[in-house]
This record gives sequence, C-alpha cells and structure tokens, in this order.
Amino acid sequence: MSLPHSFDAEDASERPKVLLVDDDDLALMLTAEALRGRGFDITEASSGEQALAMLTEWTPDIIVLDAMMPGLDGFDTCRELRESPGFENMPVLMLTGLDDEVSINRAYQVGATDFFVKSTQWSLLAGRLRHVLRSARTRQELERSKSKLARAQDLARMGSFDWRKPGSGSHHPTGGLTLALEALRVFGYTAQDRVSMRRLVRMVPLPERSGMTRVLAEVQSKNTVLAIDVPVNLPDGRMRIVHVEAEPEFNEHGHGIGYTGIVQDVTDRRVAEDRIRHLANFDALTGLPNRRQLMWRTERALDHARRLGHLAALLLIDLDRFKVINDTLGHAAGDELLVEVARRLRACVRHSDQVMDTALESASGRSHRTLEAVGRLGGDEFVALLPEVADEADAERVSTRILTAMRDPIFVGGQECFVTASVGIAMYPRDGMSVADLIRNSDVAMYSVKDAGRNASAIYSPMLAGHGRKKLELESALHKAIERDELVLHYQPKIDVRSARMVGVEALMRWQRGDVLVPPGDFIQLAEDTGLIVPMSDWLLREAARQVKEWQVNFGFADSIAVNLPNRMFERSDLVEKIHECVSAHGVPHRSIQLEITETGLMKDLQNVIPSLHRLTEIGVEISIDDFGTGYSSLAYLTTLPISELKIDIQFVRDLGITPQSSAVVTAIIALARSLGLRVIAEGVENLRQMEVLHRLGCGVMQGFLFSRALPPDELELWLKQTVLPRKAPWIVQAGADRPEPLGSSGGRRL
Amino acid sequence: MTTPFTLPPGPQASTGGTPPARATGVVLDADALANLAQLDPTGANRLVRRVLITYRSSMARLLDQLAQARVQPDPASQRLVAHTLKSSSASVGALLLSQLCGEAEKALREGQVDAVPALLDQLVAEAARVDAAVVQLLADE
Repeated sequence: MSLPHSFDAEDASERPKVLLVDDDDLALMLTAEALRGRGFDITEASSGEQALAMLTEWTPDIIVLDAMMPGLDGFDTCRELRESPGFENMPVLMLTGLDDEVSINRAYQVGATDFFVKSTQWSLLAGRLRHVLRSARTRQELERSKSKLARAQDLARMGSFDWRKPGSGSHHPTGGLTLALEALRVFGYTAQDRVSMRRLVRMVPLPERSGMTRVLAEVQSKNTVLAIDVPVNLPDGRMRIVHVEAEPEFNEHGHGIGYTGIVQDVTDRRVAEDRIRHLANFDALTGLPNRRQLMWRTERALDHARRLGHLAALLLIDLDRFKVINDTLGHAAGDELLVEVARRLRACVRHSDQVMDTALESASGRSHRTLEAVGRLGGDEFVALLPEVADEADAERVSTRILTAMRDPIFVGGQECFVTASVGIAMYPRDGMSVADLIRNSDVAMYSVKDAGRNASAIYSPMLAGHGRKKLELESALHKAIERDELVLHYQPKIDVRSARMVGVEALMRWQRGDVLVPPGDFIQLAEDTGLIVPMSDWLLREAARQVKEWQVNFGFADSIAVNLPNRMFERSDLVEKIHECVSAHGVPHRSIQLEITETGLMKDLQNVIPSLHRLTEIGVEISIDDFGTGYSSLAYLTTLPISELKIDIQFVRDLGITPQSSAVVTAIIALARSLGLRVIAEGVENLRQMEVLHRLGCGVMQGFLFSRALPPDELELWLKQTVLPRKAPWIVQAGADRPEPLGSSGGRRL
Repeated sequence: MTTPFTLPPGPQASTGGTPPARATGVVLDADALANLAQLDPTGANRLVRRVLITYRSSMARLLDQLAQARVQPDPASQRLVAHTLKSSSASVGALLLSQLCGEAEKALREGQVDAVPALLDQLVAEAARVDAAVVQLLADE
C-alpha cells in the first residue's frame, strides 16, 4: 500500500496526532507503522495507565484504545478519560474483536466515539480515523457556531422560541411553549424559570393585552405569519418593547401544529424611531406640528371634508412686529416668546399632538377631529387647522379666541412684552380646494389685516387678492423705476427770512410713473421693505451731486442740497466712499451734500450710526436731524454727536400761534440749538403768522409752502429769477420790513 | 469459522468454513508476510525482521504467562494470552496458531472447561512449530 492517500489532501497541512494504546508490542508496532505511513503522527502507549499519565500534559487529536488489556483495560481507560475535564469531547476509537458484540456495546457505554474491529487492513483503520476526526471537527465547529449564535442573540437581545398547539404532535402532547435561554433573557428570566405562555401574556400591560391576544388568535386561526411589537413589564419592573416574529409549522397533513420564531427587545430601536418620527413632524422649538405635518394633516382634513361635504378652515397667524422684539431683545428672547405664544395658541383649538403619517383607521366617525391642531410654519408664522366648521362664524370664533389669548403680556428677557397677531382665514371649499390655495389665500387675508393696522383677523375675499396683486405690481414696477430713469428729485428751498435769501434746498424723491407723479408716502415704505431703498439712495446721492454742479454752472449755486437717507444707509461702511465718489465725479465740494436723518432713526440705532456720522463730518458733510422734537433724544448724546443742524418738526410749526405748548417747545428747541452751537431750521411754514412767530423766537431759516413747494430743478431756477430776485413775494416784504437791509446787495451773488 | 485477522485476496479466503492453515499444513502464510513487508516497501526499516524478533520475544513471554496461568489456574490470564497471541500471530501469518488461540479464547470466554486443556496443548505445540519457522525465516534473510 502506497503512502499518498485520498484523505491526505484535506489534511495536507497537518498530520493528525494519534495516541495509540495497546499492550501487545507487536500490534502496537504494526499499527503505528501502518498509520505513520498514512499521514498520522503516532504516539505509542503500552497500557491504559501510561496513556492517562501522558494525557495530563499533552493532548492528541484522537485516541485509539485497545479494548483488551491487562490492568486498566480500554473500557476503564475510556471511562476515566471522559471524566477528566477537557476530554469530554475527545474522539476515542475503541479496537475490538469482530466476534465480540459485548465489547462493542461496552465501548459505547463508556463513551467511546466509535469502535473498530482489529484487522491488518490498515487503510480501513486509517479511513475510520479520518472519519472520526472529521466528525469531531464538524461537531466542534457546530458547538462553536452554536455558542457564537447564542452570543450574537444575546447581543441583539434576541432569542428563539417554539410553540406547539395542544395535542398537535407526539413531542408535545399537551402543547406548550419552549423558550431558548436567550429568549428567556429577553423577558428578564433565567434558565431556572418556568415560563408559560400565560405568564408571558400577563406581562403585557392591560390596555395593550386584549389587542395583542386578538392578533394572536387571528394569526393562529389562519396559520399566518406573526410579526408584532408588544410592550412588556419585565419581572424587574422595566418596561420594554419586544418584537415577536414567528412562522407557522405544519404537519404532513398540512395542519398547523404550532409556531417557530424569535423574540427581540427592540425598545432602543423603537425609541429612536419615535424620536426620528417626532423630529420629522414637529417643530423643535415649540413642539408644535411643523410645516410637513401640517400639510399632511390638512390634506387628510380636506379629503374628509370632500367626502362628507362639510366645511373646513385654515387660519394663518402672524405675529405683529415680531422682528422688532427679536432685534431689540435678542434671538433667545424671541425664541422664548415663540414658545409662550405656541402654548397659548395650542389652548385655542382642540389640539392633538399625535404623530400622524399613516392613513386614518376609519373614514367615518370623528377620527378627522384628531387632525385639529396649531402648527408652526416657520418664523413667527403659525397655522390653525379646523378640520370641520359649521360656518365662517365658527372660524372667526377661533380667531377671536387667538387674539384674546395674545392680550396678556408675555415675560421674556426679563421684561414684559405685548404681542399682537394678525390672522387670515381661508375657508374650504369656498376659498380654495387645495392646501396650497388655502395657505395662499389665508396669507392674502392676513396681509390685509397687516395693512389695515394689525391685531385683527380677516376672512379671505377675492377683493383682498386684488389688493395684493396691486402691491405686487407696484413692487415689480419700482424695481424697474431706477433703470428706466423714472425717479426724479424735486427741491424745496430753505429760506433765511432775515436776508430773504435761499440758503439751500432739500431734495425730495418723486416717482414719475407714466403720467402719474407718485408721492414718497406711496412707495418709500415698499422700497424699505423690499430693500430697494439701497439702490434708490445711491441714485439719490449721485443725482444730487449732479444737480449741484448744474446749478453751480447755471447761477453760481454754492449752498448744499440736503438729502434724506434711511438710517440703514448710515450703517453701511461704504457711505463715506459713496458720497466721495458722487461729489468727485462732478467736481463739487463735499459740503455741497448735506444729510438728513430722522431723530427716531438716529436714536434707534445710535451706536451703529455714530461712527459714520464722525467720518462724514470729518470730510465736510454736514448732518441735520430731521423731525426734531418727535422722538426721544438723549440730551446727553446730543451734546456729543457730530451734528450741525436741528430741524423743528412740522407739527410744532403748524400749531404755532394756536396752542401755547407748541411755541414753548419751539422756544426750547431753539434755546437748545443755540447753546449747543447748532443751526436751527423750521419746516412746514405755511403762512406769515408762523413765519413771524418763528422769527421772533429766534429761528430765521425756514422752508414751507409759504415760500415754495418742492419744485423740479428748472422751475426752481425760474422761481428764483421771478420771485426772489425781484423781491415780489409777500414774505419778502414782511421780512424786509423786519430787516430793513437791502437783500440784493449781499445776496445777489449767491442767488 | 473464518479468521477475521487476515483478509488478503488469495485462494484461502474463498475456502469458506474449512480452516485453510490446518488443511494446508502451512505454518507461516506467505500472503500475510507479503502484506507485512508492504508496510516497509523499501525494506529500509527492516520492519519484517523487527516484527519477527518482537513476535518471538512476545510469544515467549506469553507462553510463559500461559504456563503459570494453567498452574494457578487463572482462566482470565489464560484468556488474555490467547487473545493477544491470536492477533499478533495473525499479523505474522501464523494462521493456524491464531486460529487455535481464537478457539481457546472462545472456549475460555464461554466456560467450556472440558475443551480448554486440549486446545491449550494444541496451541503450545503449534507455537513451537511457529517459533521454529520464524527462526528459520530470520536465518534465511
């Protein structure tokens, strides 16, 4: 017999270690020789005692024992071996005689893995050894993978179970539940616990128990696959969610005999899933349904209303002047306020917090009521969805409730805030058949409330939409006004009545829109809102500088043109450069541009505006404070601000000579200006009486209809030529009477 | 009864119930020896020689034990000797001896007290023949 054997390929890398035990020297010698030649690594022992002694410090892959030996025979040796730790699964091959059935039986009794009848057919012995070794290895791998599986199941908090219907098979005559150790652990039990189906069912909290038993019964009666998540109270009091998944098993007649499946603790996954679902559907700040969830609910509500033919309402709620609160108190306070507003709004409807993204269980009934909610669309915009209303009045009642709920002050950032809201209402189906239509139209209604002064509600009507469209048209037209050169400047002269001379002009913007001259009141606010005010102001500065140059050439104009800038322009770091560019382009001095900023605008943003004011003053651009007396100037700041002029507000001038208070205010302003070294000018002077009083109180420079309205540049030139130079106007006579010195001698050059 | 210890292909295997060794009078079976020689195909290990030498000393020791066990008398020891000598004899081709060992072992196991002494006498006599044949074989090599 030759050496290379078919089995050798498998074990090429290693020669199996064999302990060969036989008391017969000859048999030992021959067997060892034969097996060595067939790829085994043989160690010989001539008695059971010797073999056991060797095994205390060395472990072979397999042991071959001769059954019949003097002293400790093969059976005793095997029995002792099996009792030693580490040798429980050691493969042992017992060598017996063929005619010795008793020995064969004994071999198995003492735990031999297999027996082999002694023969000189060595290849048969070698084959048997390989077979036993392979079985042992397979068994080892099985054991290993079994314990790996157990470990994996433990990690996954998963375990298997087996359930048999009563009387369904010979193995389970009474039916019953068998839980693997890992499955027991899922339920908080150990291997010692006896766990019946009834005991497990009792772990499910009562509210869920009946639903679960119903599902179990249903699945079982139809022999369908079971897959449910069940909450359970563990013996230690913890509440967990267990996923149960099982498949039915059938006997040869196709009858369901039970279920085999797994249980898994999915609490963590469920908690995470719920959290994700909540994040996706609810606003993180206020906890209200977010836009997505609102849209979803509204869709469902409209479906329902369509089917059952009832009305629904959508209320769009926008806080009034929320931006101001955010800007003045900071975003943290703004957030705090939104949270409180959300809390109040929630109380105004039958708010439901349920996350919903699956179809409602039943189409009829009151299920659609659970759709009702207040949600946050974003920013300071909220929506109240009323899935069923009887009429408009129903919706208005809710909006009234909302406006009332806002009435109490809200404490944020350590102070009391008063918040109002504007509410727009759109009714399904009248104001829109789709979610998008209803949102848009409630938005239109809400803006009509804003335009009408806020803090109210309005129901959508097509007329409101018309308003909105007009505004939209105006906005897009204004965009084009600059490029189409439709903006124009008119100029109102400033007059020094003592000398009856023009000492400067104020530039006022007009919009020449086709044949219509649009006054600033109709478009400046829109320009502010849309940000168009910035390019418009740039244009204003360029145009004013150009006009200075033109007049310089035409009639020696050497005063300044005052332009009104919104205070956001003063916040821009490039304002100084911009003015410098404009005047340089036309070769006129910096001081030919004067800037007017309103008192309110200045004080609102003092810290941001001051640096600009200083740099403007440094290059010679004078600053005038407009509408002085209407705001709340800090007198302390006033003394340090780099300003040149105070402009008395029109309302004090109008009341001069009528109410004593107004002359008191004017007197005070003039005194203040004088002591601070500032010029003072009065605007809105319409009659001689006002002029006289102002003059008497010490204010000599004025502007107003008494002298001239704001005029296009060429008309202003004409006015100068025809009215001022010939000294024909009544105010000139008056002024001249007061101040008898001739005007022409000193002022001719300047005009 | 067919001896289980040698199953080489050959005329003896097909003779069925008739004990071949006893019929032919052959002391050492050539096929068995050839079989043995194949364990050491090149002869480098001088395996056959070593086996034969071991067999002789082993047989001498066993016969010694047997003689003592018959005096005692100790049937269990007698049986162990018969068992051991049965398989080693088969290995070297002493088929008749092996067969006699098997018969003695069976008689001892089954307690056929009357048959045992005659069988053991035959066994000892055949053992002497085998030993002589082995000596001859070793000398021939």
